[in-house]
Amino acid sequence: MTDVVALTNERNQMFRDLFSGKTPKRVPISNPATQDFAIQYAGLDLAECQWDLTKLEPVYDKFCQDFITDTYPGGSIRIPSHYQLLGSTPIIMSSSGFMQHPEVVGLLAEEYDQFIASPYDCIIETILPRLYTELNGEPGKVAMALAKAMRVHSDDMAYLGTIRAKMNAKYGFATMGAALTEAPFDFMADFLRSFKGISGDVRRYPDKVSAACEAVLPLMVKKGTLPNPSMLGYTFIPLHMAPYLRDKDFAALYWPTFKKLIETLAEMGQTVQLFVENDWMRYLDYLYELPENTIMRFEYGDPKLVKEKLGKKHIVSGFYPITLLQTGTKQQCVDKAKELLDILAPGGRYWWQADKSIINLEASGPVVENLRAVLEYVHENGTY
Amino acid sequence: MIDLQVLTQAVGDLDEKTILTMINDFVATNPSGEDAQKVVFACQQGMAIVGDLFERNEYYVGDLIFAGELLSTTIDILKPVLSGVATQKVGSIVIGTVQGDLHDIGKNIFGSMAEAAGFNVYDLGIDVSPSAFVEKAKEVKPQIIGMSGVLTLAIDSMKSTVKALNEAGLRDSVKIIIGGNPVNEDACKQIGADAFTTNAAEGLKTCQGWVK
Repeated sequence: MTDVVALTNERNQMFRDLFSGKTPKRVPISNPATQDFAIQYAGLDLAECQWDLTKLEPVYDKFCQDFITDTYPGGSIRIPSHYQLLGSTPIIMSSSGFMQHPEVVGLLAEEYDQFIASPYDCIIETILPRLYTELNGEPGKVAMALAKAMRVHSDDMAYLGTIRAKMNAKYGFATMGAALTEAPFDFMADFLRSFKGISGDVRRYPDKVSAACEAVLPLMVKKGTLPNPSMLGYTFIPLHMAPYLRDKDFAALYWPTFKKLIETLAEMGQTVQLFVENDWMRYLDYLYELPENTIMRFEYGDPKLVKEKLGKKHIVSGFYPITLLQTGTKQQCVDKAKELLDILAPGGRYWWQADKSIINLEASGPVVENLRAVLEYVHENGTY
Repeated sequence: MIDLQVLTQAVGDLDEKTILTMINDFVATNPSGEDAQKVVFACQQGMAIVGDLFERNEYYVGDLIFAGELLSTTIDILKPVLSGVATQKVGSIVIGTVQGDLHDIGKNIFGSMAEAAGFNVYDLGIDVSPSAFVEKAKEVKPQIIGMSGVLTLAIDSMKSTVKALNEAGLRDSVKIIIGGNPVNEDACKQIGADAFTTNAAEGLKTCQGWVK
């Protein structure tokens, strides 16, 4: 067995242990920087590289070589080509070249009943043509646009998959699968009604919001299902709207279908990783009810309180403030890593990730040096 | 005559039906511009209640967004009867989501609250370049510039914008406040802003303090 294969096996075992609640050999680490960062780190143009993926292999090679991580640092990637071919409005590129999700309305308030009666039909017939301009027109033209976009998307994914396989073979990363889905309420907000729209709906027609979340739940389960639930990997669910709701709206409208989603995935034998965006400290008692070994990557809040309340049942991650890498000294950055390691590592059930992804690199700034120091510190001091 | 106290409370409660009924009934009486001004003032006081409830964690961001929507609907209904009345503005603010960032929800919440508090608000939109901030500042000479962003790249854009304002010789004539998910005290210092906030109601109070 080569050293690299042994390394992959060792890392896979760390994650198997982590995901099943056993204490791994050391705290597993995922580099929070993403492809966007990697492109800038290689000194290349962000927009150009996302249109021409052939430039990416050396980008990834340098990125994987220079920063310690146990998982492939590809991050969640939105490749622009198929979005462009579809005339996308919910995912677009900004002037900096970073793909983003602006506020969009896919479903009008008066269409709730249509959605509740048949969410899938409503998405295909009403919502997609509204959100993707090329899907709105003559059937023949729409079919061509869809065919082109899907072909490009599958080519792009295959190309990125090849780079990933090469990097895994060279650097021995853990080989994990991932699926992505959303909590039903977040899906209703992010792509259907918008932040503004759902904020009004919660007060104007809470019953319809609740019924719509129930109606879309099976689609969210399906979207979050891995090809094989027993494989090493997880369903990633970035949470969004709960911190912006009143407690009673959360309890009545957000929580019930969110809980069902996680329970259904867990019953299938899948690990679930939540990105607990913003501050959920007032919902910790709810989170405690989620199935054992659900991974929760926190953005803000009190790590001590989280470890105390959830640390024996769930897997805690996140909290490391990446803005500190932009503003702090190397020593301050390492001290912060030590502080979190001391709080969260004892007893296992801790995965080192940052509070959010690093997408930007100011060439003259201290991020590269600080990030490397932090990753090295955790790698050396995270042993059990 | 419309009961202004009841209206203020209805805005504080975000009671859409009561507010719209009262405002529509009021406009139907063909009121004077001065009376309409009093109604606007009552709504502004209601928005102050909303801000207080937000600070006390009884309302959250979703409620602020809804409040902003209610207020702009209300002002739209009142516009015909308000025309011709000179309005006293407390100050002017240029706001925008900084270059590279397309997120505008926080900026919009702040903008509608600032407007409700009597500021003249110039909203430059999203992905706003440093030079666009500079040009607008030259044109309208605001007391305050508000920069918003959600992504961490916004910190770097905020820095470039302050630098551009400095180079244009405008920095000393304005107060700068930054807002959004990634901002904190250290970022504020590095950017060279005068204040930071992750809370629209608190940010508004800071701005009100500046124009007193």
